[in-house]
Amino acid sequence: MHRVTVLVTAVSLALGAAAPAHAEDEALRKELEALRQQVAALQAEVNEMRTAKATPVVTAQPAVAPVIAPASAATPAPQPATTVAQTPPQRGIGSDSTRLWGYGELNYNHPTGDAGKSQADLRRAVLGFSHAFDEDTHVYGELEWEHAVTSADDQGESEVEQLYVEHRLNPELAFRAGLTLIPLGFLNERHEPTNYYGVERNFVESAIIPSTWREGGLSLLGSTESGFSWNVGLTTSQNLRNWDPSDPEGRISPLGAIHQELQLASARDVAIYGAANWQGVPGLTLGGGVFSGNIGQGDDGGFLAADSRATLGEVHVRWQPGPFDLSALYARGTISDTEQLNLTFVGNPYPVPKSFWGSYVQGAWRVWDNGRSSLAPFVRYEAFNTAASFESVPLGLGVPDADTERVWTVGVNYYLTPEVVFKADYQHFNITDELLGYGTRFDLGVGYQF
Amino acid sequence: MARPRALWLLPGALAALPAYHAAYAVQYMSVAEAQKAAFADASTFAPVAVDRAALDAALAAVPDSALGTGWAPQVFAAKKDGATEGWLIVDQVIGKAEAITYALALDAQGAVTRLEVLEYRETHGGEIRLPAWRRQFVGKTAGDPVRLDADIHNISGATLSCRHVTDGVRRLLSLHAHALKTA
Repeated sequence: MHRVTVLVTAVSLALGAAAPAHAEDEALRKELEALRQQVAALQAEVNEMRTAKATPVVTAQPAVAPVIAPASAATPAPQPATTVAQTPPQRGIGSDSTRLWGYGELNYNHPTGDAGKSQADLRRAVLGFSHAFDEDTHVYGELEWEHAVTSADDQGESEVEQLYVEHRLNPELAFRAGLTLIPLGFLNERHEPTNYYGVERNFVESAIIPSTWREGGLSLLGSTESGFSWNVGLTTSQNLRNWDPSDPEGRISPLGAIHQELQLASARDVAIYGAANWQGVPGLTLGGGVFSGNIGQGDDGGFLAADSRATLGEVHVRWQPGPFDLSALYARGTISDTEQLNLTFVGNPYPVPKSFWGSYVQGAWRVWDNGRSSLAPFVRYEAFNTAASFESVPLGLGVPDADTERVWTVGVNYYLTPEVVFKADYQHFNITDELLGYGTRFDLGVGYQF
Repeated sequence: MARPRALWLLPGALAALPAYHAAYAVQYMSVAEAQKAAFADASTFAPVAVDRAALDAALAAVPDSALGTGWAPQVFAAKKDGATEGWLIVDQVIGKAEAITYALALDAQGAVTRLEVLEYRETHGGEIRLPAWRRQFVGKTAGDPVRLDADIHNISGATLSCRHVTDGVRRLLSLHAHALKTA
């Protein structure tokens, strides 16, 4: 509509400017008024047609609509601006087929026991885009930079975090093809810093569910009017051949250590997943999901865990009554057929675990909210174990099961606007392990999304 | 002379209209369907033009809605036998990146009777279409807070859409109070 508006304004201005106090002035004004009304009527009709598409609208003629103005706007002098406002109109937003969005976060960690290890990091900067090819077909992508600088000499990463084509089959059903996020837990799909409490993502949804976890493949997703939504898919899986038993990464996050992220991914073995949520009562979310796939990746007999399978399941609940936000999540994973492989890892500190699990409960309270800014203190208790058990190995050759780590996090999210958040928290770890990044600390962060 | 030039511009303006047809959306309901659903026995839906001053006054009353500029709701008076039964207002807010088109039905006293999502354009946040969520607005008037996490429950995973539609409803209730309410 904007273009029309501008042109209508131009017409009005051109007419108005070139109409000095001549005799024909009055006639001209009248004609201008008639034109104005005609354009307004046409504009209204086009809007009608556009909004209602093919369906005929059950209305009277939109031509001459009564203008309602508050008492303060009493002067009836017809200005071009009034003409514009008289049309019942569309803003024009949503009419562009290409969109851009983004989010980012900058964090500061201060270990209380070892202040010398304090670190500040531009954790991530993400640019997302979408393009609509037609009403039902879109492409979505997210491009991410982590740790500010990426080069041969730096530790930063640049990555394509999501890239998929989505086609809607009907209003309740769509499919996606490409690199998509696995829909397990709360964070993996919605990992923007404004969406979670605390400077760092919780441990259960980074160590057990390896957020941001994505795989390449096909998915089908749908929803019903009763509040049930589901998402199933056939995707790439992890590659156990990449397990490094000397690297603590496998202990930090077993599935994260062997992710492929669609980077020349071995795709002999694939995985399936299914997830569902029920949100039929406003404020309540109940959900869960399972991912399972072979991760041996190859037919050659040389690899000793060719039939290995990784499976991860989780259940979650969130209840948001008024200013309160309560959630809980439990996740458990297994990696099968690792006995032979682990024998070759004897002597190394981090063989492949057979099982791993994690769970947390979290409560937040929006104590202050002025409609724009708000303050939400929170507390979270997590318990997790990334190597809860191993396949049996001959006595004396194995490593002991890991101890369960327990973390208390207390902190506050201050939303300057709903899309800009400042965070501060204190995290107490039951077990300190510098290699795994466990140690009581104080964190500060700022994040945004648009 | 300005007059011939202006007349020449007019067809140009009309020719530009189809360029605005490129809205990509899933349309769940048309305006006509929303009108019928909200006011089954109304005989006409008369468009009501609301001028900029009225819109500004309504917005000024809900300063923290922060939904941006360019507000241009489409107002219809539902009439039966000449009497106004209520109002149907079609409006847009941004969800995360794209616009959500929705229709709010008010009774003659200005209380919400229905909220319908007409068009939704994003893959995430579509949960706002859930009937149970929309029903929370029924009965709300300009005197109610109409705020997310206060008298309107959030849907986890669709926070931005929920917040923006809630703010959008609040400003439409303000619009009724400022411009539509019959004394």
